[in-house]
Amino acid sequence: MTNFYPFPRRGPMRTIFIVGLAVLGVFGLVPAVGVLVISFTDIRGLPNLPIHWIGIDNYLAFFSRAHVGDNLNAIKNTLVFAIVSTVVQILAALGIALLFNQKLRGRNVYRAIVFMPTVLGVTVIGLIWSLIFNPAGGPASSVLKWFGTNSAFFGDPKLALALVIFVQIWSILGVSVVIFLAGLQAIPEDVQEAASIDGATAWQRLRLVTIPMLAPSITANVLLGIVNALQSYQLAYVLTGPNNHATQLLSLEIYVQGFGGTPGAVVSQSQGYASAISIVQFVIVGVISVASLLYLRKREARL
Amino acid sequence: MSNIVTTATAANGPDAQAPAASGAGASRTPGRRRRRPKHIWSYILVAIVLFFYLFPLAFLVNTALKSSAEFAADPVGLVTSPHFENFVIAWQKGNFGAYILNSILYTAVAAGIGTFIGLALAFPVSRGYIKGSAWWTVLFVVVLFLPNALITQFQLLLRLQLYDTQLGYILIMSAGVGVGPLLMNGFIKSIPTELDEAAALDGVGYWRYLVSFVVPLTRPALATVFILQAIWVWNEIILATILLPDQTKSPLTLGLFNFQGTYSNQWTLLAAATMLVAAPLIVAYLFLQRYLVNGVVGGAVKG
Amino acid sequence: MATKKLRPRATVRRGTAVLAAVSALAILAGCSATSDSGSSSDSGTPSGTLQVLVSSADASDAAFRAINKSFEAKYPKVKVVFSTISNDKYPAAESSRLTAGNVDVLVAKPVQVPSYAKDSEADDARLAESGSFIDLTKQSFMKNYTPSVLSSIAFKGKQYTIPTGISYETGVYYNKDIFKKYGIDVPTTWSEFEKVADTLKSDGVTPLGIGGKDSWPAGLPMLAAVQGQYPTTADKEGVAKNLWNQKTKLTDAKPQAILDTTEKVFGYAQQNFAGVPYSATPGAFAAGQYAMTPDGTWNYPTIASAVASKFDIGYFPLPTSDTAANNQYLTGKVELRLAAASSTKNKTAALAYLKFFSDPTNYKTFVKLSGFAPAEPNIPSGDFLDSISQYTKKFVPAWDQIWVANTKAGNAALFPFNYVSLTPMGTDSAKAAAQQAQQDWAAAF
Repeated sequence: MTNFYPFPRRGPMRTIFIVGLAVLGVFGLVPAVGVLVISFTDIRGLPNLPIHWIGIDNYLAFFSRAHVGDNLNAIKNTLVFAIVSTVVQILAALGIALLFNQKLRGRNVYRAIVFMPTVLGVTVIGLIWSLIFNPAGGPASSVLKWFGTNSAFFGDPKLALALVIFVQIWSILGVSVVIFLAGLQAIPEDVQEAASIDGATAWQRLRLVTIPMLAPSITANVLLGIVNALQSYQLAYVLTGPNNHATQLLSLEIYVQGFGGTPGAVVSQSQGYASAISIVQFVIVGVISVASLLYLRKREARL
Repeated sequence: MSNIVTTATAANGPDAQAPAASGAGASRTPGRRRRRPKHIWSYILVAIVLFFYLFPLAFLVNTALKSSAEFAADPVGLVTSPHFENFVIAWQKGNFGAYILNSILYTAVAAGIGTFIGLALAFPVSRGYIKGSAWWTVLFVVVLFLPNALITQFQLLLRLQLYDTQLGYILIMSAGVGVGPLLMNGFIKSIPTELDEAAALDGVGYWRYLVSFVVPLTRPALATVFILQAIWVWNEIILATILLPDQTKSPLTLGLFNFQGTYSNQWTLLAAATMLVAAPLIVAYLFLQRYLVNGVVGGAVKG
Repeated sequence: MATKKLRPRATVRRGTAVLAAVSALAILAGCSATSDSGSSSDSGTPSGTLQVLVSSADASDAAFRAINKSFEAKYPKVKVVFSTISNDKYPAAESSRLTAGNVDVLVAKPVQVPSYAKDSEADDARLAESGSFIDLTKQSFMKNYTPSVLSSIAFKGKQYTIPTGISYETGVYYNKDIFKKYGIDVPTTWSEFEKVADTLKSDGVTPLGIGGKDSWPAGLPMLAAVQGQYPTTADKEGVAKNLWNQKTKLTDAKPQAILDTTEKVFGYAQQNFAGVPYSATPGAFAAGQYAMTPDGTWNYPTIASAVASKFDIGYFPLPTSDTAANNQYLTGKVELRLAAASSTKNKTAALAYLKFFSDPTNYKTFVKLSGFAPAEPNIPSGDFLDSISQYTKKFVPAWDQIWVANTKAGNAALFPFNYVSLTPMGTDSAKAAAQQAQQDWAAAF
C-alpha cells in the first residue's frame, strides 16, 4: 500500500532511495549475510587453509550438552541486565532530557557533560569505575566504612551484576538524552500552550501531550537500549573479566567462545563457529527487538 | 499558505521565541509567577545529575595528571604533583598529530553519508511513498543489531580492491548507520504531509523538497543522527586496525594501542590520551548544539 | 508562488553542493590511496619495506623500536614499518594481514598440540602446519638461543619462531622489611608457607594481596599449585593427556589437591580481593598493606616504581608442595615469539631482521629495554632477574603453556582447575568446584 505521491516524478525519489540502499546494502547488509553463510563452514580466516562446508555442526556445538548450563546462566543474566538497564535508562534519560530542555543557564554545558561518557572508550570507563569501586580504598568503600561495613563490589557475586548495570546506564545515558532532546524539539510549543490554557497541570501535560508526542524517540530509545543490553559485552569484560559467573552475559559468553577472549587458556575456535553463534545472538536479539517494535508501534498508533 | 512561509523562514532558536511566548503567555497563564522558584528546583536537580557525572570524570582527570609511579603507588588518591606534560607526552607517543586529520576526514565524510542514507531511506518509508513500508521499518530495526561482520567486510574490501584504501574504509563506516534511519523514520512524521502536497503544487521537485524543506525542518534529528554516527566512526578502533593497516591512513584511535599492554595498560598516559581523543568530539558536540534546536515552531499548517 | 519566496534555489544548490563535496572528498581519498607493497629483493643486501607486526606492551614496544632503529642504521636501504596492536585485537589483525599478504615479520605462537587434542589446534598452529611461516630450524641464528627454551617452543620438531624473552608467573613478591621484622625466612615448602602466613596473620598483617577483579591474577596461585603437584614438564604433559583420555578425573586426589591449595591461598589474601583491580595491587603492596603478592616478573618495573625504594623487594617461587625439590623452580612462559611469514615479499630483509635480533649484542639491548628474562645464555639481565637466577636455572614452562582447552567442554573445565568458582571469586568450595569442573569436562565426550 503506498500513499498518494504528490511530487511530479517518482524517478528522483526512487533513485535517491536506491543510492542510499546501495551503500547500506553492499557495505553493511551483504557482509552480514556473509556471516550467515560462513557460519556453515569451518573457515578460519587464514590463508592456505581449506574451507569445508559443515552444515549445522557449529550450531550443534553451541547448543551442546556441555554448554547448556553456561548458556542458560548467561541468558538469565542477560535478561535481567536488559530489562533493568533499559527501563531505568529510559526513565532517567527522559527526566534528564526534560530537565535540560528548560531554559536554564549553561544548559549546553550540562548536556555536554552528560554526553561525555559516550565519547570515552570502554577501557577508561572501566578504569574509572574500577577505581571508584576499589574495595581497598576507593571512595565507595570509604562511604561504606562510615556505615561500618565493607563490600567486594565487583568481586561480590551478588552485587556484581547490579554494579555492571549501573555503569552501563551511566555510560550510555547520554545517547538516550540526546535522542529525547531532539524529540522534544519536534513537539510544537503551541500544543503545549493550548494544553496549559485548557487548564492542564504540568504533570498532565507531560503524560497526555509530551510523552505521546515523544513516541518515536521512545521507540528508538527502547530498541537501542534493548539491543545495547543484549549485544554489549565490553563493559562486563573490562569490569569483571571474562570468567565471572555472576556477570556472564550472553554476548560475553559468545565473545569468549567464539573469539577466545580468555587470557590463561588457549581456546581455538574457527571463525565459522564464531559466526554461528553471532547468528544465534542475532536471532535472539531480533526476535526480542521486532516483538518490542510491534508492541511499541501499536501503542504509537493508538496515540 | 502564507503561514508556511513565515514560520518556515523563522530560523530562530527557541530562545528568540521565548520572549514572544512568555509575552503572549504572561497575561494568560496564571501560574507564570510560580516559574522562578520552580527553576531553583531545576538547578538543584541539575546539580545532582551533574555530580553523578563530574565525580567519575574527575577521576579520569586525576589519573591523567599522575606520573605512572604515583599511579602505581596510589591509584585512587588525589594527585599530589600534577603532571600536565602527560598530555604532551600522550600526544607525541600516540602520534596523534599525524592521525587527527585522517580521523576528521573519515568521521565527517562517513557520518555525512550515513546521515544522507538515513534521510534517503526514511523519508519515502515514513511517508509511505514506497511499497512495503512495514518491511522497510523492520529493516531499520535490524540494522541496529547486525552481527559482527568484521571477517566478511574484510573479505569484501579485499575482493573489491578497496582493502587498505581510505575510500573502502569510509564506505564501510558509512554503512554503520545504526539508529539513524529508525530515528528519521519517526521524526519525519512530525512534518505534516500537507506540506509535501503544498510544495508539490508549487512545482517543487522531490530532491529540492528534501533539501529545502525537510532538512531544515528535521535539523535536530539530522544533527542527532550525525552526532551519533560520528561518535561511532571517531571511536572505531578494530575495523580501522583490520581494514587500514597502512599507518599513514590510521585514524586517531590507533594511537591508543601504544598505551595498552599485555598484562596492564599505562593508565596515566591512556587516560590523558583518551581525553585528547575525546576532546574534539565534545567540541564538535558543543558546536553542533545550535543545529539541535528546531528552526521551526510547529503550527506550520495553521489555517 | 509563496513557496518560491524561500531560498529554494540557494538551499538546493547548497544541498547538492554539499553532497557533491562529500562524494568528491570520498573519491579523492580513494584515488590518493595506494596500497603499500614491500619491494621484493632476493639479493644479498636487505632493502625495501619491512612490515613488522607485534602485540603491544609499553616496554617491549620501546625495545622493538630501538632494534628497528639500529637495523635501519645497519641496512640503510631498508625501511621498517612497525605496527603494534593491543593483545585482544591481535589475532584478528594477524589473520587479516596474513590473508592480505602485507606482513613480513610478526608475533606468532604456534603451540604443538598433542594427538589426543587434534581438533583444538589454535590458529597459529594451523598456520605453521600449512607452511605459512618460514621454517627457521636450520638458520644459523637459532644457535644463539638457550636449548631448553627452544625445545619448549618447537613445533613438530621444527622451529618457526624465535623467542624474544621469558617471563615467570608462579612467584611471589615479598616485603623484605616485614619479613625481617617478624623474623620470617623465605619458605621453601607448603607447610612453611602456611606457617609464615599464619604468623603474619596473627601479627595483624595481611599475608597476601591478589588483584582478583581481573580474574587471571587469581589464576597465578593455581599455576603454582599445579607446579607443586606436577613438578616436571613430563608430569604436566602426562596429566593433560590423562585428562583428555579420561584416565584421570578432575575430582581425583591430585587435581583436588590443586584446588584445595588454591583455596587456602585465597584464604590468606586480603579481604574482598575479588573486587580489587590488578592495577591497584602494586600500590597497596608498596603501602605495606600486605606482605606478599603473587605476580609475574613482567610487573617488576611497576612494583619497583610504586615501592620507590621504601623497602627491599624479593621474589620466590610460591611453594605448594611439601617436597622442597618440587618448588625450586619458577615456571614461566616464553613471551613474544617472532615468525617470518612465507608470503613475505621481502624474504631477505625478514630473515636479516631475525638474524639481527638474535645477535647477542642487539639482543642484549632488547632484553634491557623490554624487561624480559633473556632466552639466550650469558646475557646480563638486571639486578632483579639476577637475584632470582637460582630459581631460573632451568626453564620450566608453566601449566598454562602446556594445557590445551577443550572447546567442547563447559566453562568450568577451561583451565581446567576451576579456580574461578572458588569463594570469594565464585561461590563454591574446593570440592564443589572440582565436581562442577569434572561435570563440565565429562560433558565434552
